[in-house]
Amino acid sequence: MIRRLITVFVLLIFYAAVFNFPLDAAESKENSNQARYPQRIVSLAPALTEALYELGADDRLKGCTTYCSKPEPAKHKEKIGTLIDFNLEKIVTLKPDLVLGMEFSDRRTIEKLKNLGYRVELFPSPKNFNHLCESFLRLGKMVGQEEKAKQIVMEAKQDTAFIREQAAGVKKLKIFWQLGAKPLFSATKGYFTNDYIEFAGGINIAAEASSGIYSREEVLKRNPDVIVIITMGVATETEKQTWKTYQSINAVKNNRIYVVDAYTYCSPTPKGFARALRELVVLLHPSIFKSNEEK
Amino acid sequence: MKKKLLKWITWVVVLSGLLIIVGIASLCIGTTAIPFKKILPLIFEIREGVEYSILVDIRLPRILLGLAVGGGLSLAGVLLQGMFRNPLVEPYTLGISGGAALGVCVNIVLGFKSGIGGFSLPLSGFIGAAVVILAVYSLSARKGILKIHGLLLTGVMISFVTSSFIMLLMAISRAEDLQGIIFWIMGSLEEPKWSLINLAIGVSLLGLVLSYFLSVRLNALALGEEEARHLGINTETTKRFLFIIASLITGCCVAVTGIIGFVGLAVPHFVRMFVGQDHRILLISSFLSGAIFLIISDTIARTIIQPLELPVGVVTGIVGGIIFVYALTKRGVEL
Repeated sequence: MIRRLITVFVLLIFYAAVFNFPLDAAESKENSNQARYPQRIVSLAPALTEALYELGADDRLKGCTTYCSKPEPAKHKEKIGTLIDFNLEKIVTLKPDLVLGMEFSDRRTIEKLKNLGYRVELFPSPKNFNHLCESFLRLGKMVGQEEKAKQIVMEAKQDTAFIREQAAGVKKLKIFWQLGAKPLFSATKGYFTNDYIEFAGGINIAAEASSGIYSREEVLKRNPDVIVIITMGVATETEKQTWKTYQSINAVKNNRIYVVDAYTYCSPTPKGFARALRELVVLLHPSIFKSNEEK
Repeated sequence: MKKKLLKWITWVVVLSGLLIIVGIASLCIGTTAIPFKKILPLIFEIREGVEYSILVDIRLPRILLGLAVGGGLSLAGVLLQGMFRNPLVEPYTLGISGGAALGVCVNIVLGFKSGIGGFSLPLSGFIGAAVVILAVYSLSARKGILKIHGLLLTGVMISFVTSSFIMLLMAISRAEDLQGIIFWIMGSLEEPKWSLINLAIGVSLLGLVLSYFLSVRLNALALGEEEARHLGINTETTKRFLFIIASLITGCCVAVTGIIGFVGLAVPHFVRMFVGQDHRILLISSFLSGAIFLIISDTIARTIIQPLELPVGVVTGIVGGIIFVYALTKRGVEL
């Protein structure tokens, strides 16, 4: 059981994402003088790395994790370990003036970095799309790309608003969003993936659950119209086959079990969120997609 | 007698020398290789820069903590194996680690972790360990007599109960808390607070000194409780002290580093193969060997797949287990 939970946890971390940090008082006063912003940034999470690329601050990114593979050039940045286990010595040799981490990063290592006098900024996992945008804006401000961040967030918000509008007109689908197997793990309300479902005109059957661990019986009882499985290595295909044995579920009857990519959905930036949402809407409501194409 | 003493002194000198060599090697090895001849100037003259910081702020604390915890756990292993006359007993068998882990889990889930600086997790770990120690002790002590088998069984049961509670907490906790729990359970020598490192060193060394007052009695106990009593040993007091010393060392080590397995089980056996059964030499040799073993393991853990760092428990388990089984079959030694 512990091993399974560890697997779920590793997957979650792996997928997990992004930002938000205490607003630095000194920073709000700063002008656009680039030299005054951090010049040697180390990122401890894939989503943060991607956000830095979107903000055009990637030339100042000096190190990131081995999981940071989006966009392509990030693969060639200096690697400092994984999201879970990062190499303190490696970080120190990079002489960073800003270390960006997640709030769930290993407490002891983070504290050590702070003790050594490095500036460490931590970001909570995003709770929803707005939370994601707020964090992105703050990151923009922190690295001196506030205008660009605002622009990106505005576009992402327009995009999602448009998709929501489109999706609002159609019949709502009951969706089961599966993040992990053994134990069966789903996204609840406090988790930003819930927004994908709601924005795309769906009802998350696990929204009100108190924790992500969900009973299969309950899924059968609630009878979802669609089951979305986030990729989780070998388990993905097995899970799909497992669901197919439950013929009473609408999703199974109508062959609506979809597998989606963990990288796309689980460590997004505002831009990535809009992109993933569009992809999801296409899966859920092919009719909307057609009308979009016509436009 | 003289010959024996000479042999013992040789062992202590050899092991201490090894410990020093391993410590220095561990200082040199890492993501950034720092040559041996640069170490002294760096520490005593330059005293600044990235390399100094890596040496003194990152590597040195880990080595010292490895010494304290490796030594402490091995010592606790020797004491408990001697007391129970059971080769399978280790510091974690009595549920002490389980109690510490449960304390930390409760702390994380209830969200106190930001309180009292960084001391809240180790403190709750120690409280958890202390509660288990008291529970195990009071449950198996009847009319002033500490039943050895009762003690062992109670300990094993309590450790099952605590691990079930931990699973329960993990199952209902939020994803953010889950990683905190898992980081802690994996165990690590990375500890930002010097005060905690000093505490671990202090407790381990104190344990070593105190256990020497009991070394002769331990030898007597090895013959059996009845025999020890005939030799004029107050077995009840001895058992009580042994239990308390071993538990406190374990509790402290676990509270600071989390759970690092294998050290307390295997090192004492390994050392016994070389120095023999006499606790007077066994105690110090196990302490030194445990320290050497954990420092080597940690060095491997942080360098083998750079820039990634493995949990040190992975290395102690794999490397230690293989060497141990090899030595066992090779020498045909019986436990």
